[in-house]
Amino acid sequence: MTHFSWLYDGSIVGVYLLATMIIGIMVRKYVGKVEHFLVAGREMNVYLGIASLAATEFGIVTCMYTAQNGYQYGFAGTTPGILQALAMLIVGVTGFCVRPLRDSGVMTIPELFEKKFGQRIRWAAGVVIVLGGLLNMGVFLRTGGEFLVTVCGFDAKYLEIAMTLLLVFVAVYTILGGMLSVLVTDFLQFVVMSGGLLAVTILIIVKVGWGNLVSTVQTNFGAGGFNPFVNDKMGWQFVMFNALLNLAVVLTWQTTIARLLSAKDTKTGLKVYKGTAFFFVCRFLIPGIWGIAALAMLAPGAVTNSLHAMPMLLSMIVPVGLMGILVAAMLAADMSTDASYMLTWGSVIYNDILAPFRKKGTSEKRGILWNRMIVGFIGIFLLVYGLWYPLKGDLWTYLGVTGTIYLASMSVLLVACCYWKKANSWGATAAIFLGALFPIAFLVIEQLPATAGFAKKVGPYYSGIAAYVFAGIGMVIGSYLKPSSKQ
Amino acid sequence: MHTLWLVITLAALVWYSTITVYVAIKGFADIKSMLKRLEDQSKA
Repeated sequence: MTHFSWLYDGSIVGVYLLATMIIGIMVRKYVGKVEHFLVAGREMNVYLGIASLAATEFGIVTCMYTAQNGYQYGFAGTTPGILQALAMLIVGVTGFCVRPLRDSGVMTIPELFEKKFGQRIRWAAGVVIVLGGLLNMGVFLRTGGEFLVTVCGFDAKYLEIAMTLLLVFVAVYTILGGMLSVLVTDFLQFVVMSGGLLAVTILIIVKVGWGNLVSTVQTNFGAGGFNPFVNDKMGWQFVMFNALLNLAVVLTWQTTIARLLSAKDTKTGLKVYKGTAFFFVCRFLIPGIWGIAALAMLAPGAVTNSLHAMPMLLSMIVPVGLMGILVAAMLAADMSTDASYMLTWGSVIYNDILAPFRKKGTSEKRGILWNRMIVGFIGIFLLVYGLWYPLKGDLWTYLGVTGTIYLASMSVLLVACCYWKKANSWGATAAIFLGALFPIAFLVIEQLPATAGFAKKVGPYYSGIAAYVFAGIGMVIGSYLKPSSKQ
Repeated sequence: MHTLWLVITLAALVWYSTITVYVAIKGFADIKSMLKRLEDQSKA
């Protein structure tokens, strides 16, 4: 039984959606150049950057997997968020890699790689970035739809219709206004999303009780629910994989980098990093608490899929009125994520993959048209892929593994590009190949019945760590093997 | 360990509430100035 009321909660959601649409479409008149469409003319300032980055990095899918982490691992499930916050803060303070990246004036990371490794590596880097990114975001829609259906109590048959409508809605303002629409709507979405998240968290802590949350974790997981190193399902390999993953995310994740490159200068970009760092603890901890509350409140037999535990709890305890704010907050979170993902991965397709095929002197008008078409195609891909891919294992691990397809090699390439003089195209090629090999192999053997058992035995963490280690080794060996131009 | 998680949770709630209000005010000013600069650029 859900508390969603079409009259009260539906009105709140409707007003929010209408306001977003109007604001998103209004700023399209400022888009005159490709640079406006992709990086908002590099006019983004600190607080807009913080709002936009926070809103983008928190979607319904984020809420679902972080709550699932809380449900499955207790407070220890927050570990990836703490590691990401640390990585964000360290990179923001030191400017490691991101300072030379922003100073170079490029619009995408592969564009920087061309200066060091040549045009072919730029193209190959673009391909793996898009491959990893699209596989990653492929599960967003279905997961978001599952949340809405469970919380609002809709019939499951409406899931596809609801997610299609939401995507069309987001695609309209993203196609028209590009990064400018994304930034402005992100701001509204950040405010609505944050208000909803805080209100529901306070409600849950008051209703369930802090002592009850702690004792639930203690009863179900023992010390492992508070410390990832002593958790049977986590251990050092989980922490190590997530440390590498989150550092790579901070350095090369397309939606994060897009904020750095949209900032009006390098200093502003670094301030956005420092200002957003602690948000990543909240991003894992707040829904994690919701997941722990679901573990405390729901009977074990009532939950058949751990991913649905948190929305089941919310449907039962969030009252009318607050339910509308919660659904608006979650829609806000999802829309900002979908819009930014479509735009920023589209920017790599246009700027890097299609670069060799573009005629020189392409007009700004034609460039914007191309970008709009690419965003539209990504939207269609999301619909199709999101409907047929069967998700195995937990969601955070799937996202980590698919992201690693490019995160491992791109982070190695970026570090080498910025700080290692001997790095060259052979090393870059080896790093891209080895970085993608392990996660892709893991995804394939996980899906095949004959090898699924082996995949389970190896686990995603070792294959993830191997991707980073071998991408680094590939870069070093490949770079030393290439004969120098003097020889 | 239990106290540590209580402290982190309280810090997260206080920080997030504060930053939401602060960013809501300052971010709106950022949007206005960004659109103004873009408008000036298109006129120039």
